[in-house]
Amino acid sequence: MNNISDCMRIESDVTPCEQCGSASKIGRGLCLNCLLHRCLDANSGNAENLYEALNEVDVRDADWRIGNYQILEEIGRGGMGVIYRARQRHSRRIVALKRILSYQADSQETLIRFRREAEAAASLDHPNILPIYEVSESEEGLPFFSMKFATSGSLLDLAPALRNESLRSVALMAKVARAVQYAHFQGILHRDLKPGNVLLDGRGEPLVSDFGLAKWLDISSDLTRTLTIFGTPGYIAPEQAQRSAANLTPAADIYSLGAILFDLFTGRPPFLGEHALAVIQQASEKPAPKLRSLLPGFDRDLEIICSKCLEREPRARYRFADDLAEDLERWLEGRPIIARPVSPPVRIWRWSKRNPKLAGSLAAAFVLGMVGVIAVFTNSRLSSIVQNAELARHSVVVTPFEDLDELSTSSNSAKAATSALTTALMQTNGIRASSSKTQVVDPWSTEDWKKIGESATARMVISGTVRRREGKQRVAIHVIDTASGKVVSRWLGDPESAGEIGKVLVKQISEALDRPPANEVDSDLVGGTSDPSARSYYERGKEFFFRHNFADLDRAIDSLRTAVRLDTNYAYAYALLATACQLKSLLNADGPWLKEADGAIAKALSIAPMLAEGYDARAGNSLYRGRARESLDDFLTAYELEPGNSRACARLAHGYHVLGRADWSMFWYAKATRRETQPFYADNIGDIWTDLGEYNKAEEAYNTAAIFQPDLPVSAIGLSRIELFRGEFDKARARCEQAREKYRSNPQLLMIAAQIEFFSRNFGRAEQLYAELMKGDHAGGVDYHGSVRFLSATGFIHAMIVTADGKALLNEARTLDQKELTTAPDNPARLYSLAANYAALDDEISSLNALESAIAAGWIDYRSMTLDPRFDAVRATSRFEQAVANLQQATRQMADRTGK
Amino acid sequence: MTPEAVGKVPRRPDRFATTRWSVVLACGDSQGDEEMARNALAELCKTYWRPVFAFICRNGHSVPDAQDLTQDFFLMVLEGDILKRADPNRGRFRSLLLKALQNCLANDNIRKRAHKRGGDMKFVSWDEWMAEAPSHFSIPKLESENWPAERIFDVRWAATAAEHALRQLGEECEARGRRRVFDVLGDYLAAERQDVSYQKLSKTLGVPEASVKRIVHELRVRYRDLLRAEVAQTVEKPEDVDEELRYLCAALAAG
Repeated sequence: MNNISDCMRIESDVTPCEQCGSASKIGRGLCLNCLLHRCLDANSGNAENLYEALNEVDVRDADWRIGNYQILEEIGRGGMGVIYRARQRHSRRIVALKRILSYQADSQETLIRFRREAEAAASLDHPNILPIYEVSESEEGLPFFSMKFATSGSLLDLAPALRNESLRSVALMAKVARAVQYAHFQGILHRDLKPGNVLLDGRGEPLVSDFGLAKWLDISSDLTRTLTIFGTPGYIAPEQAQRSAANLTPAADIYSLGAILFDLFTGRPPFLGEHALAVIQQASEKPAPKLRSLLPGFDRDLEIICSKCLEREPRARYRFADDLAEDLERWLEGRPIIARPVSPPVRIWRWSKRNPKLAGSLAAAFVLGMVGVIAVFTNSRLSSIVQNAELARHSVVVTPFEDLDELSTSSNSAKAATSALTTALMQTNGIRASSSKTQVVDPWSTEDWKKIGESATARMVISGTVRRREGKQRVAIHVIDTASGKVVSRWLGDPESAGEIGKVLVKQISEALDRPPANEVDSDLVGGTSDPSARSYYERGKEFFFRHNFADLDRAIDSLRTAVRLDTNYAYAYALLATACQLKSLLNADGPWLKEADGAIAKALSIAPMLAEGYDARAGNSLYRGRARESLDDFLTAYELEPGNSRACARLAHGYHVLGRADWSMFWYAKATRRETQPFYADNIGDIWTDLGEYNKAEEAYNTAAIFQPDLPVSAIGLSRIELFRGEFDKARARCEQAREKYRSNPQLLMIAAQIEFFSRNFGRAEQLYAELMKGDHAGGVDYHGSVRFLSATGFIHAMIVTADGKALLNEARTLDQKELTTAPDNPARLYSLAANYAALDDEISSLNALESAIAAGWIDYRSMTLDPRFDAVRATSRFEQAVANLQQATRQMADRTGK
Repeated sequence: MTPEAVGKVPRRPDRFATTRWSVVLACGDSQGDEEMARNALAELCKTYWRPVFAFICRNGHSVPDAQDLTQDFFLMVLEGDILKRADPNRGRFRSLLLKALQNCLANDNIRKRAHKRGGDMKFVSWDEWMAEAPSHFSIPKLESENWPAERIFDVRWAATAAEHALRQLGEECEARGRRRVFDVLGDYLAAERQDVSYQKLSKTLGVPEASVKRIVHELRVRYRDLLRAEVAQTVEKPEDVDEELRYLCAALAAG
């Protein structure tokens, strides 16, 4: 109970009173028991006697005044400053007053600098920043400043009580991160965030103190002072020990926020050492320990969040304190966090130092992804924002709408929507609207919104998309707060006319502008949970899910089922359950899994009709059922709802790839990559380049994938497939075998190994491998690449060698294809597989018909066609040759378009 | 009742004849001025919120809950006749407040209703009051864990009265331009201490040792008066002061 208020300090070590032995004290070492006893049975005295006695003392209280303040008591003392509780003389307001002790009075310049920085800090006005009331100098010329008196100590005192209360710690630190972001936006770095600088008011609300004033105040030891490092070892970023203060970026503060989080969870800062120098050395030489190495079983997402803050490379950390706050808030609400578990950026930076040449070519390949997301903010840049930050309260800027049918912002319907909305807003009283003049391509990030808002001096940015949907115009609009980069309002609908867009939205935007900043939250985003056990099952489920192996997938499904049983309104858990069920159906083409996914999706969307994850999962189900065309609408909806979501972009890209639109697919992968700090989709991009015959570009992409996704054999699969297409069978085989040693049980690697043997006509070995694969899934198994059904390949080999059951197996495979086509008639991969089966069964006409249908539906992989032994029977026909030639030409054209 | 209204109460009505509590009780008998009674009660509550808060915390409520319940409780006390209902036979402010508190916490309905009604109304102004009169009261961990909530309440009550008097003493010195004297000598109020170096204190304050001794003596006498006056505010008749002080001493010493 001593933690929030000063009500009762509970001391584990107290000295009992010399007189009575009681240990209850009221401060100043005064024993409560003795004081009470002294007052018993006493006669009344005379106050005048005291006043007379006092007059004998010739010590004037004036010595005990600083400026306009009466000093009441000393409450803290550091290397360079003293803190008092004081009373402002006229207002009688109680304040905390900090006086700088070791200021060198001879330097007028220093004094001016102090004043300037303290006044900048005093200009900060945020509910979670300790307000500075006055900056001044005492009569002797010593600088001081007065600020709000925080009544309930600091995180230093509260930390022990928070140790097992992650929820409270996270909620608190989310507020702190928001406050830090606010200060960053005003151009002020803190530079010494530590538990002692996060004070608490009477309600337990955090108040960050000493913004930008670290170097004037407490410096922990002589050692750090001689190194002229400002900050506190244990909490300062490694670069803070190496660079001059002027070169620090917000990332240094983000590191400190991570270190405080780490401390709150574990009871110690990330690095310990005998002296300050040792701590600083460790921080710059070693990666921060993983939370779960100290607390096994601790929440995985919180570990990821901490690690992301504590990356040694500043650019690998959260880019903005807001992004950290966002992740912490997402965690609190039981929503998926944005940070990714692995930290390949560091790996790649370290690696690129050793391999500068190769790294250069990789960087060129991912110029969209890498350069777009790295924001280096210097202090001066922040300051310039401050000067421009007087954003008019009721001003909005409209960015050009994106036409999702044309992949362009200059189509007629995109222009019509943009101008209709701009005009409607311009005609609305009380709103100052303009259209964006900046050329920010594909804006989506906090930084993009800030840039657009800043250049137009607008408080809100409006962005949107249009597309044709069921004969109508589908419009999605997002209203984004420039300061926070947060979506404060969004709208999705099918307005009858361009003019209606404006009318519908003017009201909504007016409301968003009138709302005070504190309420700027995504109010229509429901679907989280307040039930801690449901959340913990969801987190567990997510952890298992992302391990990407099938044993853990079952555990993930169990946990997620429990999560939705505990909270039947937990939409996020339903959506992830659906996605897990889909993955489960990947190797086992099992109807029930997709049915369970259907149920979970319906539930998720009925609870949260604006949940992007729900549409994404529903699209996934269509895709898994072979109905790629159908999936596009839902994927687009997911994108419309959350244009900053890389996953939505990547899944759209995948959908277009399945439909043979390699060029569009590449466009969406580029978008996805721009939205990630790491190029997670490098392998998919490699697949597209492979389909387009651009093997060199594909190889570059796969090499990148090897660095960024070291836990999956995606690069080995992609590279061996290129070798297969080039006819370098031995190389392909060797690469696969080597990879299989590392990724022993990976089924996709086994698939490509089997395909290499099958296409290179090493049928004995191919049969063995397919037999192994069929153990896992007899009936439904199909290659991910090249669409070879295990059953069909086995049937073909048997038909060639023994003939006993070969034909029967091929017929069985054909029946399976036909059955699947009844529900997904234009699934290109299935039509192609059917064509191969017919060819193997010597049914030339049916095979060629099916093949042409497959190509019409979107099949473009003509290289597998030319290698697949099952097409031997039809290979010499002119229709087959023509089909190959057509595809060659079509992919070359797409490659040209994509290259541009 | 808002903190602003509390502020209108004269700062120190320290005449024994009409203790605050007697004013409150007189009103219950329909003999007194109701507004005066409400102000007196509010002033008492403003001083004695810490024991209430500590009691609620000790009963296992989280800090935010305890803060809300403390607000609700005082609003009920100030708005209603809850003190009368708590014990028709009356008694001291301390024991009545505790009984009312116990009833209030036991009765879940009252609690819920109070919370609703309380709405945005606040009585305790945490930050302001804690800044104005911070407490430095500490008790050993072992005792905080073993003592029952009622004893925590009583001990916290005693500490509140003692701190209140100490603060008043400091303010009296400050009013005479001698807060510094209080700061230096305030540590020696409790008892004769072996380690008091009058020589050193004499040097610090720039007065002869004899004067230091005299000031310490007068500070002690004045403190005693102020504490008795403070305790008197919570009892009906001035004669009850010693009994109340003995009760508080016993609470500290028990067990």
